[in-house]
Order: sequence, then structure tokens, then C-alpha cells
Amino acid sequence: MPRLAADKYVTKVRKPDDVDEFWDDVLAQTAKIPLDAEVNHDPLRSSEAIDVFEVFYTSLDDVRIAGWYAVPKERDGLLPGLLQVPGYNMEPPIPKNWAKKGYATFSVAPRGKLRSNRQFNPGYPGLLTYGMVDRNTYSYRGFYMDACRGVEFLLGRDEVNSDRIGVTGHSQGGGLTVSTAALRPEIKAAAAGAPYLCGYMDAIELTDAYPYQEITDYLRAYPGCRDQVEQTLAYFDGINLAHRINCPMIVSVGLQDSTCPPETGFAMFNAIASADKKIYAYDGHGHDANGRQHGAVIDAFLAEHLKV
Amino acid sequence: MTTLSGAKPAGFDSFWQATLDELATLPPAPEVVEMPLRSTDFATAYGVRLTSIGPYRIFGYLSIPKGNGPFPAKYYLPRYGSVVDLVPQGTANDQRRQCVTFSVSARGQRLADQPYAASFPGLLTDGIADLSSYVYRGIVADCCRGLEYLAGLEQVDGNRIAAIGADLAFTTAALCSQITHLVSSPSLSYATADLAARTEAYPLEEINDYLRLHPSRREDVHNTLSYFDLRWFAPRLSATTLLMAGSDGESLDEVALQPLVESVKGSCEVHKSQHSGYRDGVFSEEWLTRQFGLPGPSLPPHWQP
Repeated sequence: MPRLAADKYVTKVRKPDDVDEFWDDVLAQTAKIPLDAEVNHDPLRSSEAIDVFEVFYTSLDDVRIAGWYAVPKERDGLLPGLLQVPGYNMEPPIPKNWAKKGYATFSVAPRGKLRSNRQFNPGYPGLLTYGMVDRNTYSYRGFYMDACRGVEFLLGRDEVNSDRIGVTGHSQGGGLTVSTAALRPEIKAAAAGAPYLCGYMDAIELTDAYPYQEITDYLRAYPGCRDQVEQTLAYFDGINLAHRINCPMIVSVGLQDSTCPPETGFAMFNAIASADKKIYAYDGHGHDANGRQHGAVIDAFLAEHLKV
Repeated sequence: MTTLSGAKPAGFDSFWQATLDELATLPPAPEVVEMPLRSTDFATAYGVRLTSIGPYRIFGYLSIPKGNGPFPAKYYLPRYGSVVDLVPQGTANDQRRQCVTFSVSARGQRLADQPYAASFPGLLTDGIADLSSYVYRGIVADCCRGLEYLAGLEQVDGNRIAAIGADLAFTTAALCSQITHLVSSPSLSYATADLAARTEAYPLEEINDYLRLHPSRREDVHNTLSYFDLRWFAPRLSATTLLMAGSDGESLDEVALQPLVESVKGSCEVHKSQHSGYRDGVFSEEWLTRQFGLPGPSLPPHWQP
């Protein structure tokens, strides 16, 4: 039977009544923890035009989080700030390319990534299902906060214009773009590519590929936990966070994406509260979501909203 | 890239022969543990630990179809990063139904990161100023050790073993004659000094970073890199090969790779990238399916017609 068009798919995800209370409480818990940022210049990674710093700060559960901060050396006035959020099985890049475009850019390594894995290291595969039977033990509770604290780091920088901070990422970075834009109202523009962590329970029926396959593996081993898993994931699902997004946002999907099925991207997009939103659906593309050409779209979008 | 610099080092063949000889002195000592969480009703997954040069213990994810073998094998070589997947992200888990799969974690990558945990960025230049200390010699040996283990499994059809990956797949296939087929996307180890000079993108930018901080070591760095250049491995490569090239005008497009293609000992087909993980993925999976004589490709649902 041919597949239904991705934009016609109806998600099975249901929003918990207390999803906002849950996240407001997690944010409040995080806010009580001093950021305690440490910023060290890295001469090896700096260049003639860009200064690169290795950054550490404290996040939820007192986990120490690392990241790369890149800023252009030559600047005239305050810079727009950009949070870059990483994919699932990649290490956070040093964002010199964004600094070169004029952004003070912070590239975060949420817990479990190299340099942020001393206290928490569930591995890959592993991160997606770690503690999944309880919303208060699930890995992404802290992981989402680690990204949100990156916004706080940017807000605390003298060279950053705190009214012009954006977020962008692809795949898991797309999912974190959704969660960060939803949980941090200081975000003024968000660009998500091929978003992961949206429609988890839909995705395991739509694809057999990893990383979502990790959940299928888990439920095969622990079938009795299915209800708990479904309840937990509902609190972390981008579809159930998107109603909190009020900033301009663009989303891209590949219509042949086997990693993050486009159906889930559409479902999340439809739930975004902001009226200023646009989705770019690329036929003939998989998880790349036509990144080679879509990069120019992201550049223009962020410039329009952050460099005004 | 129209003009490529560098020449084959005089000690290239002896260097790699010495590496393989050193590997041969070390028993692989496999420790194989079943992984029920990653096993399915059609394939059993295992974690495998092996000894490589150093000596150093490395790791691999092994999956064997249920049923009667022998089966064709897909050997996934590590790409540049800390994470190694059971099968590559986004590909069909169903491929484990008809092929043995083995993904190796080389030294420094997760699950093979004790005592050496690689940094990313950082791995590409670790020990690069001295050929004898460059970490990639050990990494190539790790890949050869993994292949040796895979090829020795009774469930594997020795006439159908494919190496799949980037530069390390090419290098391993050139050094290990048990590999019958190769799907490779050259990215870092082809005229590396020329490539790095033309980009500011990581991971090649690691080399630019290193030379910016240590300009006096340029000659030593280029000497080390020349021992890992795919051009000098190509004459040893007899596997039936599919090279995934960039599209026209990119640094590793079909024209740039032509010297490599002409040097390969076996048959070599070039596929020009369409910058679509879907289109390029379907092409390579269908190519390998034909080569292996399988009834059909294992494609994830969104890649199926």
C-alpha cells in the first residue's frame, strides 16, 4: 500500500495536560543552579579572524557541560547571538563558520557528548532510551536543559545583543531547536532541519532505522513498560512543546528521510504557535533535507531576524 | 582540484608491510558477548573485542542473520567521529536479515576508548608530526584486524565481503585481499595537504589549525600524511569498487578522483553524488545488491518506491 503523503499524516501523539507545569518546574530547578561559566581562549582553534573559546558551565543535576564559543575578532557594536545544537551521533562542531558570518556562536555539547560525559555517559546507542520509564529520570530532561543553559551563557556575554539570539541545528539539533525555542522565550528566531525527537511513537512505526530503532529494541526487551514509555516521551515530544514557540521559525524536511520521518516534522510544524512559520519540504531528499541548498535559506532567515 | 601535490614516499610499502607484520604477531583473542537488546527475530547481535597493535583492545558490533549461512557480509568502517553505530544511521535495520554486518570502533572511538579516548576535533592531528607516532597507523591496523575477524567467521561467504565507508574502507580494502567489494567516499586522505589548504571546514581544518600553531612542522606533517594517501594505496586495490564522488566542481569530484580511479587495480565505477542521502544511499545499496546477487535491496520504508 502506498504511503500517505507526509503532510497528511495524523499523529498519534497526545499532549499531557500538565506538560507546561512539568517544564516550568524543570526550568525553575535549573534556574536555582549557578551557571558558573568558565571561558578559556583556545589558541589552537582560533584564527586570524575568529577567536575560539572552550566553555564549561553547570546544568541540571550539577552536570558540567562543555561547548565551543566562536566570535569574530573584528566587530562594530553588539553581535547577534546564535546557539548551535548538535546531532545525535556527532560531536558539536567548532562554529567558526557562523562566527565568520558575524554571529557570536555557542556550540553546546549536552550531557553524554565528549567533554560533557564525565558524570553522565549512556553511550550511543543508549541515550535515546536512558531512564525512559519516568519523565524525571529520562535522559533528555537534563539534555534539553543543557541546551537551554547555552542561551543563558549567550545572555551573559557583554559582546552579545540579548535581544537578538537565535537557535539552529539539524536532526537532533533540529529537535533541540524546537525544545530550546519552546522553553526559552529569549529566542528570537529558530531554524530546525529534519527535526528529531518529534513524534517518537509515530516514528517507530514509520521507520526501522536507528536511532529510533533503539526504542523498538527497548520495547521488544521490556514490553511491559510500553505505557510508561509512551507517557514519558509525551513530555519530551517536540509536537507537545511546539505550542510554546512564538518566535519566527523555519523547518526543513526531506520527504524520503528514513532517520527522522517527514511525517513527524509536519506534525511538529503544525503545532507551532507562531504565525510566522514556514516549512520547506524537499522531495528527493533524505535526512540531508537538501542541506546543501537549504543552508542559504537558513542564512537569509537568521540574517533577517537577528541582524536587523 | 586540478593539480595534486606530493609523491609516493619511498618507504610506503615497507611501512605498511611492517604494520601488517606487527599485527600478525598479535593474536586477536576475540571476546564475543551476545547483545539481546539489539537482537531481533531475524538477526543476533554481538559485541566483539579484539586485540590490535599496541597491543590495544578494540570493539565491534556484529550481527548475524538467523538461518543457514553462509551470508554475504557488510563491513562498516568508522567515519570521523566518536560514535560507531550497529548499522549506519538511517539505513534499514532489515539489512541484518540477509547480510552479516560488522561495525568496528577503532582506537579512541567510543567502546574502544580505554585507555585512549580521542578528541573530536583532535584525532586527525594526534601525533601527526612524526610518522611513527601518528594515531592513524594504529587505526588502520584496527580496521585490518576487524576484517580478519569477520572474514574468519564460518557464517560469512568469503566471496562476498564488502567494505563500506570513507577513506578507511578504501585503505583497508587495499591492504586486505579478503575484501571482495568496496563502497568508498573519499573525504580526508586523498591529497590531504591540497584539500586542507582549500577549506576552512572541519575536520580538515584541524590540519590548518595545527600548522597555524606549528608552522615549522609543515614538512613533517605532509610527510606523515603522504603515507595515508589513497593514491598510493590504489594500485593494491583489487576489490570491485564503487567510488562515491562529489558533484562537478567540488574538491573531490569525478575529475579530481580520476588519478585514483586510473590507479585502482580492480574494476572501479564512479558515482557522482546527487547531494541526497536518499538518492546516493539507494544507488549504493542497489549496486551492492547486484554485486552480491541478492534478490533485492534492503531499503528503509521512505526509500522504497
